[in-house]
Amino acid sequence: MLILSFGRSLIFAFQSFWRNFWLSLATIVIIFLTFLSINFLIGINAVSDSALAAVKDRVDISVYFKPEVPEAKISEIKSHLGSMAQVKEIIYKSPEQNLKEFQDRHKNDANIQETLKELEGNPLGGTLIIRAGQLSEYPEILKAVDNPAYTDLIEEKNYEDHQLVISRINDISDNVRKGAILISILFVLIAILIVFNTVRIAIFTHQNEISIMKLVGASNWFIRAPFILESIFSGIIGCLLALAVVYPLLSLIQPQLSSFFNGANFDLIGYFNGHFIWIVGGQLVGIILLNFISSGAAISRYLKV
Amino acid sequence: MIHLIDITKEFPPNTVALKNVNLHIEPGEFVSIVGLSGSGKTTVVRLLIAETKPSKGQIVVGGWDITKVKNNQIPCLRRQIGVVFQDFKLLSKKTVFENVAFALQVAGTVGSRISSIVPQVLDIVDLKDKAGRYPQQLSGGEKQRVAIARALIHRPKVLLADEPTGNLDTINSKGIIDLLLKINEFGTTVVLVTHDKDIVNSLKKRVVTLDNGIISQDQKVGKYII
Repeated sequence: MLILSFGRSLIFAFQSFWRNFWLSLATIVIIFLTFLSINFLIGINAVSDSALAAVKDRVDISVYFKPEVPEAKISEIKSHLGSMAQVKEIIYKSPEQNLKEFQDRHKNDANIQETLKELEGNPLGGTLIIRAGQLSEYPEILKAVDNPAYTDLIEEKNYEDHQLVISRINDISDNVRKGAILISILFVLIAILIVFNTVRIAIFTHQNEISIMKLVGASNWFIRAPFILESIFSGIIGCLLALAVVYPLLSLIQPQLSSFFNGANFDLIGYFNGHFIWIVGGQLVGIILLNFISSGAAISRYLKV
Repeated sequence: MIHLIDITKEFPPNTVALKNVNLHIEPGEFVSIVGLSGSGKTTVVRLLIAETKPSKGQIVVGGWDITKVKNNQIPCLRRQIGVVFQDFKLLSKKTVFENVAFALQVAGTVGSRISSIVPQVLDIVDLKDKAGRYPQQLSGGEKQRVAIARALIHRPKVLLADEPTGNLDTINSKGIIDLLLKINEFGTTVVLVTHDKDIVNSLKKRVVTLDNGIISQDQKVGKYII
């Protein structure tokens, strides 16, 4: 009987949805805009996280040793530094490797090529490239590299500080995120009001039907359920429409993003696909709850059963 | 069957619709409640279907004290009391069959049972051949027959008819009253609320007269005297 009553409530809700089509459409549009802004927020989060991760990935300390330092000594230092908890990765580059990379980098510079030919032997020493687990761990590693025992062995240290870039990305993404959150909250509030109003109007337009339902002994839930279900219909349609617009938009944005970040791999569609269940499921559950609460409030206020 | 014990109904700020009313109706009785507009007739109907609660007193219908009825028990009560009104209260977008079936649908009756019961009830009210018509395609008398069919669909022990002939001409009114008598013959208690003198006088049944919220007369075989 419960399933039967639920089925009939669904039918009544669907009929009412069509009878008040323009009202339903207004509700759908506002819910659509809410979800568009929420999906925009999700996209912004994904892009800024990827951008930060990419920049953080490029941060390292390069220690250039003097040419006369033997490989064994560098290996010893490598083992010592590699044993530090802060060090995530440490790579050794031999003098030959460095020379080859240098030649490749300056292959169009005739002067440098000429100078290298005139020099006897390899003027470059070995290099250690050190990466930390966290950005905050670099100062500790730098302190270890500054060990007086190594001072005579090291030609140059190069710690590319990306802190400025990172904080800029953080600032920009924080601001965009705040804006998107604000817009989303605004749309959620408007959606609550619109759903409330839609149910209120639906109750007024169904006054005759409601009084007859009461007269013939319909249970209170049987009278209320179609209004709640009707608002949930609008919510689900609005949510699915937003997703139907978001995916083509992502395809449009994807190439622009890649070129903006110098070909870095920001696969937004992949991100949405990878989190599809959470994104779609979360939004559907959210809108069902929102509609349930909003229509419930309108029903308890205007529908006396 | 129906007991109104010392019932008073007040509407704020200072209207007294019923004052210390005592009324007892036996099972299978046909009772007409008559009176002028504002005498409290409709308030009695509203009290009997638990649409409103009395300010004082007790109402018992079929052994059930409906003054203490909880909100979630009201639907169950209304399935045991059939009601028809002057304005028919039909759904204009539903056919005759659908209007009657609606009462069963909201009560969770399965489709196959609805398909078998509705034609039987439409047969009783002589509308079997008009099952597919919409209310706007029916005469006033036929509309009221649909309303009666819907009221009978749950096989109620009591049928309340609040001014059922108020919108009908003499011939249609007689048809409706004949139908109510027929329903009463089947054993259903019928309470007819009306101010139609001719109908009441022709019935030769019990007449309860309300006057300014009090029972001024209660005659076994009565006449409309105001």
